[in-house]
Order: sequence, then C-alpha cells, then structure tokens
Amino acid sequence: MIDIHTHPVQVADLYDGDPNLTRAVRDVFGFYVKPQPLDTFLYQLDEAGIDQAVLLPIDCTTTHGCKIVSNEQIVELVEKSDRFIGFASVDPLQPNAPKDLEKAIKSYGLRGLKLDPSLQGFSLHHDEYVYPIFQVCEELDIPVLLHCGMSWSPIGRAELAQPIHLERIIHRFPNVRMIIAQFGWPWVAESLMLALKHQNVYLDTSILFSGTPPESFRHVVEKVIGLETFDRSLHQQVVFGSSYPRVDPKRVVGAIKEMGFRESLEKKIFHDNAARLLKLEGQSL
Amino acid sequence: MKSVLKTVGIQTKKDTEMINITELVKKTAESSGITSGVVYITTMHTTTAITVNEGLPDLEDDITEMLFRLVPAGLNYRHARFLHSDGQMAVNAPSHLRGALLGMQTVFPMHEGKMVTGGRQTIYFVELDGPLYRELMIHVIGE
Repeated sequence: MIDIHTHPVQVADLYDGDPNLTRAVRDVFGFYVKPQPLDTFLYQLDEAGIDQAVLLPIDCTTTHGCKIVSNEQIVELVEKSDRFIGFASVDPLQPNAPKDLEKAIKSYGLRGLKLDPSLQGFSLHHDEYVYPIFQVCEELDIPVLLHCGMSWSPIGRAELAQPIHLERIIHRFPNVRMIIAQFGWPWVAESLMLALKHQNVYLDTSILFSGTPPESFRHVVEKVIGLETFDRSLHQQVVFGSSYPRVDPKRVVGAIKEMGFRESLEKKIFHDNAARLLKLEGQSL
Repeated sequence: MKSVLKTVGIQTKKDTEMINITELVKKTAESSGITSGVVYITTMHTTTAITVNEGLPDLEDDITEMLFRLVPAGLNYRHARFLHSDGQMAVNAPSHLRGALLGMQTVFPMHEGKMVTGGRQTIYFVELDGPLYRELMIHVIGE
C-alpha cells in the first residue's frame, strides 16, 4: 500500500535542528499537536497497512517567509527509512524555482513536486512563473501533487486552488502526471471533469471535510461522483492519500475498505495506480 | 510527608493494546525512597486507560473485545469533526469512550519499601488510539 499524501510536520526529529519549523507548522500550516518521534509515524503506517509514504514539503518563502519542512529535511527523513518517497517543493514566486526543482530532483534524488497554491499564495494563471516549473516536471518526468480545494490552514486561500485553474496547464503539459489532492473538495465536479477528460490527472482520497473519513469519502464517491462513474471511469486514476497528520492514516484506509469495492479496484487505489504514476512498478515494496 | 512524581514514556505500536506495566511501576515506586504510603498510576491522555486485571492473554483479548462490543466504531458520534485547536480531524470518539469505561488511574499501597499488589493483579497501560508516544505518571506519596 502506498500513501501518496503525508506531511511530516509532526515528526519531532525535525524540530531539534530547526527552530523556525515550529512557527511554520503552527502559524502557517495550522497544526498544533505535540510532535511525536519518527518511530511513531512508522508504527502508524504499519498499523494502517501502508508500505510506503510520499513525504510532502511546502515552500512558502515569498508569502509567509518559511518552509513547512524543507527539501533538505525531506532528504534527511528519506535517508532514515526506505519506506519514504520524498517530494520536493519550490516557491513559484522565487526566480530560482525551476533551478531549485532541478537540483532537488537531480542532486537530492527527490521523486516529485508538491505545490499548494492556497498556502504558497500564487496564481495558477500566471504562466510566466508556473509554466517554467511544469516544463522542468515534463523534462525530468516527475509527477506533481497539487493541493486543490479547501485548505485547513487558517490562512490558506482556497480561491487560488480551484481545480479548474489547472485546465490550461493540463492542456499545455499533457505528459505531466498531476495529482489533485482531496478530489479538490468542495469542487469535486471540476476535479471529476478534469480526470474524466485527461488520463494524466489523478485524484487522491484525502477527503476530510467533516464527519468521519468513511462518511466524507462515501458522500463524495456515492453522492457527488456516483459509484458507477467512479468504478468505470476513474479506476486507474484514484490514488490513496491520507493527508497525515490531519487525520490518522488508519482511518482513511478504513474508509476505503468500508466502501466494499471489488478487490481489483481496491488494489488499484491502494497500490497499483500510485506505483504507476511514481514509476515504482517492478520495485519490491 | 514526601511526594515523588516520575513521568514515564511508552511507545505504543498498535491501535488497541494492553501493555503490562506492573514491573515498571513497582521498580519506579520502590526506588522513590518512600517506604510507607501510596502509589498513584495515572495516564496523561484521554484515549488511553489504566486498568488492573489478571495478566493472561485470553483476558486481555476478552477485555479488548468487550470494549469494541460496548463502544462500536461506526455509530453516529458527535465527536466527528475538524478540531480547530488541534488542526486535525477529531474522529476518535470510540477511543475516548472506551477510555472512559476503563478509567485513567489506579492506586496501590506502599508498605515496608514494597508496592503491595495481589498475586494475580497486573497493571495495564491500555492504548486505545495508537500507535502513539504516550506518557504516564507514577506518583508516590508517603514517608
């Protein structure tokens, strides 16, 4: 099982060497729970049945003067466990962003890009700084996970993260694999339209708007999308993501298992689709 | 009268787990320097518990199953929403309710330098929403 959406902001090991991380996580990301040892995170993955987890940083240098975990810290964690797959984050508003991304992939060995327009404060319509970043993604053949829809950060601006804003980028970069987080909730219909039309668009399962994960996930899949459409048209494009630590991964796993999907569909969501887009196929977990 | 408070950390490894802490508590209490008094064992969390029972694996399973039977996972609990003060989803009502059934604390006497328990009494730290790094307090009061 692969969790494509985790934020290592609760890992105590990172805080010792970075006094600025506390402010970034509390004041910008909006997470206030006491850090836990790295081992706790690994045990939580075990308990959920997750073999590998993608770790996501967010570079908010221009807008908030901080990084919610840096690329270097992601590398530090990846070096501690081969169960971690590190993504990079760059700040599109910084002139060096394309070069920083290239360095993170080529020199640090990170495997994808995380962008969060709502927290990074940039517009997906600004081609002059957005296109060069996606150009690097295309050249290096790496996926991009985009936070779309509501941000639980108290200062996150959802208006910047509306899925429809991605359409022009998808047209311009049809070969870049893009993951829309949390089905872009509340704009699920926009995310659905993009995924139905474009096979390089994936949707992750970290839908956490209210109630329990089973309630949230079931509502979106059954009531908004429809089970038939989900099964027939999205079976190759839905990937498991928990959005840890906004919720314990075991609960999102439980939410998907409770749906009673056919075994082949569940396997695609929990593993095969992510393995394909991360190009892990053939690698043992 | 003296008061010695020790905080002990435990890394739990499962969602629900009964961890035998009897020897840990006895050793900590008996090294406090207090020979006559009481020992309070208290968890510092609201989704864990402290309980005492006979230290047998079958009883551990029975207690766990009882908790799941009395407090099932899928009911319409009110504590199922985003908790703004934490910045995360608060969707663990069953863990809280199971903890409420077992309680947060137990107490034993200290007599002539030893913590006195019944022969079959085992002290458990009960994880109800793990895995997490947890803490419990061992508070010895006496002379």
